[in-house]
Amino acid sequence: MAELTYRDAVAAGIAQEMERDERVVLLGEDIGAAGGVFKATVGLFERFGPRRVRDTPISEQAIIGAAMGAAMTGLRPIAEIMFSDFFGVCWDMIANEIAKTRYMTNGQVALPLVIRTANGAGSRFGAQHSQSVENWAMAVPGLKVVAPSSPADVKGLIAAAVRDPDPVIVFEHKSLYSVKGEVPDGEALDALGAAKVLRTGKDCTIAALALMVPRAMEAAERLQAEHGIECEVIDVRSLVPLDTRTIMGSVVKTARLFTVEENPRLCGWGAEVASLVAEECFWDLDAPIVRITTPHVPLPAADSLEDATIPSVERIVDTVQRAMG
Amino acid sequence: MDILMPQLGETVAEGTVTNWYKQVGDSVRADEALFDVETDKVSTEVPSPVSGVLAEVLVPAGQTVKVGTRLAVVRGANEQAAPAGGAAPSHAPAQAAAGVHAPASQVRSLRLEADVAARSEKRKLSPVVRRLLAQHGLSAAGIQGSGRDGRVMRDDVLAHIGRAGSTQPAAAAAASPSPAPLPAAPAVAQATTDSSMCGAGERVVPLNSIRRRSAAAMARAWQSVPHVLQAIEADYSRIESARRSKGPAWQAREGYELTYLPFLAWATCQALLRYEQLNARIDGDRLIVSRRVHLGIAVDLAHDGLVVPVIRDAQDRTLSALGREIRRLAVGARGNKLTPDDFSQPSYTISNSGVFGTLITAPIVNPPQVAILSTDGVAKRAVVVASDDGDSLAIRPVGVLAQSFDHRAVDGAYSAAFLKELKRLIETRAWSDDLP
Repeated sequence: MAELTYRDAVAAGIAQEMERDERVVLLGEDIGAAGGVFKATVGLFERFGPRRVRDTPISEQAIIGAAMGAAMTGLRPIAEIMFSDFFGVCWDMIANEIAKTRYMTNGQVALPLVIRTANGAGSRFGAQHSQSVENWAMAVPGLKVVAPSSPADVKGLIAAAVRDPDPVIVFEHKSLYSVKGEVPDGEALDALGAAKVLRTGKDCTIAALALMVPRAMEAAERLQAEHGIECEVIDVRSLVPLDTRTIMGSVVKTARLFTVEENPRLCGWGAEVASLVAEECFWDLDAPIVRITTPHVPLPAADSLEDATIPSVERIVDTVQRAMG
Repeated sequence: MDILMPQLGETVAEGTVTNWYKQVGDSVRADEALFDVETDKVSTEVPSPVSGVLAEVLVPAGQTVKVGTRLAVVRGANEQAAPAGGAAPSHAPAQAAAGVHAPASQVRSLRLEADVAARSEKRKLSPVVRRLLAQHGLSAAGIQGSGRDGRVMRDDVLAHIGRAGSTQPAAAAAASPSPAPLPAAPAVAQATTDSSMCGAGERVVPLNSIRRRSAAAMARAWQSVPHVLQAIEADYSRIESARRSKGPAWQAREGYELTYLPFLAWATCQALLRYEQLNARIDGDRLIVSRRVHLGIAVDLAHDGLVVPVIRDAQDRTLSALGREIRRLAVGARGNKLTPDDFSQPSYTISNSGVFGTLITAPIVNPPQVAILSTDGVAKRAVVVASDDGDSLAIRPVGVLAQSFDHRAVDGAYSAAFLKELKRLIETRAWSDDLP
């Protein structure tokens, strides 16, 4: 068992898959000699060379288009979009082409590709470089979407994404890159579509994703210590497929659900979870479902304002405590 | 300040205090729920008119008293404790005048009894609590709530079940898709819902409060009233013709369909004015006959009980006015929007099963009324039309009108004459002229 940072675990996961399968290639802006702007691909260029680790021009459409062509012709590309905000210029290719190809060719052409991207706030990058856009991707049929919260998970889920026969979007979190965690030695291979119960509790369920997971865990500690409220914390991990069994099983147990979401409130992933739970678990609920989210605003760059928009540990504690009180 | 039994509608003379939300010594804010009142048809939550401390409760829960009776005293912050006068419940109008009457407008959220079960606990019940209560045949009334404002939470119910050692349906609370639950469990605990009574494939359906009340009333009526059923067949051609010619304009103007019922209600009122001993009530060995027709219309609440709102002075209303009033009552009854005045004592009742296409229904008279009319389905039939040139066959819309009557009040010939008059009106009136 080694302690790795989240960014090192990303590189380790990619390296593991490139080592295992020579069809796996990596392309993106500054991912080569520079090791990525977030240093999540350090060492790969040196280890696998310029043919398999390709720096591209600053053109996200070119990156996605090249990845799609590579996947169509037998490679298993991993494309990096530096900031998830830049998906804006990629959507025609991702949503209309990549997500639809298997369906429209009656299964004759599959696209086994991975799009990795740095998602989320915390770095004071402002409205165009801080967004959490996992809910955008979740809304497109034909894509799988994961957003790991720990070094071990990011390594295992990148491996699972690479081996999946269809397109998978991996949302890495900018504010998690420096977080350290234990990563098991040997080959890592996780499963797409599985949530994890990180903490068991009988009083309420908190479903969180990515950066919101450590915050929910810390909030759960404080709720237990300060208010005697025992929270069950679920790391949703995968939005598509969504592990409804784990989430609903927990809600049936606790009868209460909170979601903690970094994406803006309107049509955030938690809205879908809340809708499913309301529909399937209505007669198990002991109180309304409560969503803790970023408000529906463009993100501010100022430290204090950005901190005020993104759900914090204090806000989670306060919201849960007031709802449970 | 004295708290008095409010006037819950013009025709209501008394009410039953069913629940006090506060105990003596509790402080209460203005507009905070203070007690529940139930009349014979409606239950209502009454707020405190002032802020203060509940100093005395003079009428305990369960007691029925006249409108204006002193129920309690709420003492404001500056009020001195009045010398205790051994104040028993009193009907003195002087006291009524001195105290504060909660006006009808202040009485919030009038609702039908169907809602009483859930509301009488005053607290909101969550879906899981409702399900558990229904599954275990419990009422929230006896369960101590640990949630905010005393709300009964899931764990409170589970703890209660655990303590009571009640027969638990196998793994009722386990992680399985929940069955569609019953409506909120009745507050009155005598409804036996012990699921151990069930055999395989059976389940317990507790009667809601409306059904429990009507069950008792129907059984009493059936046992005490000597019923006679009489029916007559009527040709609805003229009504049908009026509906065809004036119905589209009615639909456009009023926004809903012009049904048979307003026609039948109008004709019934006119026939009752001629045969008024059917528009009467039995009082011992007397029959009290009325020239005013307060026409009860039975409304089915989606198979979840039956209520009978009343059209007051229906004899004075035009066909259009009856149509609108019937619509208002039916919609209001289904939406729990009616007031106690809408449920005052009817003098005669129409039960309309016709929408289901029934042939004939033998309704039960609801005393002290002496008769009730069932209007059944109208369907096209081949009928023999007699004329001087000989008989012929015609296709006509035909329906049965069936009246049950109390044989103590009238005899068969009288009832038959009434039915004949009703049939005559239906078949001969120029109905189209009654509609714009």
